[in-house]
Amino acid sequence: MHPFQYQRAESAEQAVAAVAPNPAATFIAGGTSHVDLMKEDVHRPALLVDVSALPLREISAFEGGLRIGAGVSNTAAAYHADVQRRYPAVSEALLAGASMQIRNMATMAGNPLQRTRCPYFRDPTQACNKRQPGSGCAAIGGYNHVHALFGASAACIATHPSDLAVALSALDARVQTLGPRGPRTIAFPELHRLPGDTPHLDTVLAHGELITSIDLLAFTGRSHYLKVRERASYAYALVSCAVALEMSGGKLQRVRVALGGVAHKPWRLPAVEAMLAEQPPSEKLFRAAAQAAFADARPLKHNAYKVPMGRDLLVRALLETSGLRPLQGPAGTAFAASVGGVAGQLAAPR
Amino acid sequence: MAELTDLLPTGASAPDAVLSDGSRLSDLRGRPVILAFAPDEWNPTHAYQSEIFARLSQEFGAGAAFVDTATEDWHALDCRGTLAAQFGVCGQQALFLLDEHGIVRWQTVVGPGQQLRAGQVLAALQALHPAPANGASGEWGSGLSRRTFVTATLAAAALLLLPGCSPGADDKSAPNAQAAARGSGQVAVTLTINGKTHRLQLDPRVALLDALREELHLTGTKKGCDHGQCGACTVHLDGQSALSCLTLAVMAQGKRITTIEGLASGEELHPLQAAFLKHDAFQCGYCTPGQLMAASALLQDPHTPAGSAVELREALSGNLCRCAAYPNIIAAIQEVQRA
Repeated sequence: MHPFQYQRAESAEQAVAAVAPNPAATFIAGGTSHVDLMKEDVHRPALLVDVSALPLREISAFEGGLRIGAGVSNTAAAYHADVQRRYPAVSEALLAGASMQIRNMATMAGNPLQRTRCPYFRDPTQACNKRQPGSGCAAIGGYNHVHALFGASAACIATHPSDLAVALSALDARVQTLGPRGPRTIAFPELHRLPGDTPHLDTVLAHGELITSIDLLAFTGRSHYLKVRERASYAYALVSCAVALEMSGGKLQRVRVALGGVAHKPWRLPAVEAMLAEQPPSEKLFRAAAQAAFADARPLKHNAYKVPMGRDLLVRALLETSGLRPLQGPAGTAFAASVGGVAGQLAAPR
Repeated sequence: MAELTDLLPTGASAPDAVLSDGSRLSDLRGRPVILAFAPDEWNPTHAYQSEIFARLSQEFGAGAAFVDTATEDWHALDCRGTLAAQFGVCGQQALFLLDEHGIVRWQTVVGPGQQLRAGQVLAALQALHPAPANGASGEWGSGLSRRTFVTATLAAAALLLLPGCSPGADDKSAPNAQAAARGSGQVAVTLTINGKTHRLQLDPRVALLDALREELHLTGTKKGCDHGQCGACTVHLDGQSALSCLTLAVMAQGKRITTIEGLASGEELHPLQAAFLKHDAFQCGYCTPGQLMAASALLQDPHTPAGSAVELREALSGNLCRCAAYPNIIAAIQEVQRA
């Protein structure tokens, strides 16, 4: 691990002031991803500014929704009664991710900022434009079974790994930040960016810009998260899907859909969302939507399996969220979020 | 792609040859020699390249004198010339290190369209020299002299700067890296473990796991994967399970740390420990401390539901058991739950 200096920040302002002027400085909170990447020599900060002791650990009512402090642990957010009841997609995404220990450590701001699981990014002996700009991309001609279907570039085909981010994107959550130029609000779907020719930048956050809270807006509809993975538990998504929808008079009203595991950011489907609005829900409609959703997918050598898998997952997520098919477990738990694995092993209504 | 097997192999005696400055390779016996085969545009005397040499020299604590040595012993050669052919180089960028006896001690090649990675170079250097002994002069582990090793290090670093090899992020962060190397050192760390306060001087890079095991000799906490994948290092931080391998010790200050050594009450086993014994919930036992810490945190957490076997399995999926004692582990935990 590269040597670094360590500072514990006493306030968000102090943390930003410490990181912003120093290009080799970074924030650290839960550290579950960051420390691992430092051990791998992928992250080499010269200054670590610890924001884990900042007073950003509250979940409070906010404008009809919820304000979740940046430092709230994934566990605390997932089991918070209002999150689980009103935004089950968030709890499902959190609880279907990582392990209990990691959820206890990881924070709500840190989770969406975790780096890609592309194996070439994590191996400093391999070419990776995300790790070392201009060095090339070993994944493009390599084993790319976990890589992107949408929005990739000639420089990078990595996918974003966070489950939580997919749910927050579908819910149009807002990100509050404090940066060197003051506070600002970012719509969650705008937080992450596509790789283009600057894949080393995962998000639109400026250097030294600190997330202070994740805000869930007032929402009375249904939300749900579904995830396909290679193991029954404790594995990243191959493909995942978050749905947030409102229904009225037997018709879908507003529908929002985001896919995970298929792009450099949670992949919202605006055309599909428009196609579903004001329609009575049916499997036929959802099949047509899934067909449209993947019409412009660009599979690579080893990830074409994600196209039929993603289509079926999207159909199932829409069926379950709209109530045409029962959840595979209690809403707001990993059992509802799983495809295979523990799905169906715990009855939905308890 | 260039075939490495065509290169003059490590351990071979280098052929004699006339170098670009008119000297013969054989005249240089008695000192390490670096041969760099590269396109013409490569010039190690360029100012920014010298600066990188100087930085690296400092990083390795080698002192400024070695910079001169390295540039003096450096010979840039046309990668398409007859001399290149004698070393098996045919248009690739390649680097050879010859020791004092003219034997090839290390070589590496970057084929057309390929780029050399820092990790490759470091791996090669580590193979050359696994562990510096006290930084003392004289012979080092593998029989290379300190001077040869340092020269090789600098040469390897220089190779990263060859045309087509992006210096990239490493280059940009180098000035700060220097500052960090200077400023890292030891910091005072106070940890509260199993109710006792411990005051330590630690490098901020030290993980809580290593502080427990290496500094405090609390070796009940196990190092499995060291990357947060196996759960063997599980401890409690403020009553919740956490991975000590991914926790920097310096960040665990102010938290209530409980390790497996703190689970029992004196000679009286924690009910889970007793149940693990009764149900034979282990074979080799290496994962057991982590299993016990994860399960005990789970059982005392009112917010985490784990009433059924399937919920327990899901909640404890971060603790791997290579012996697959899972049914017995779940049985032991369920017995304590029922009690």
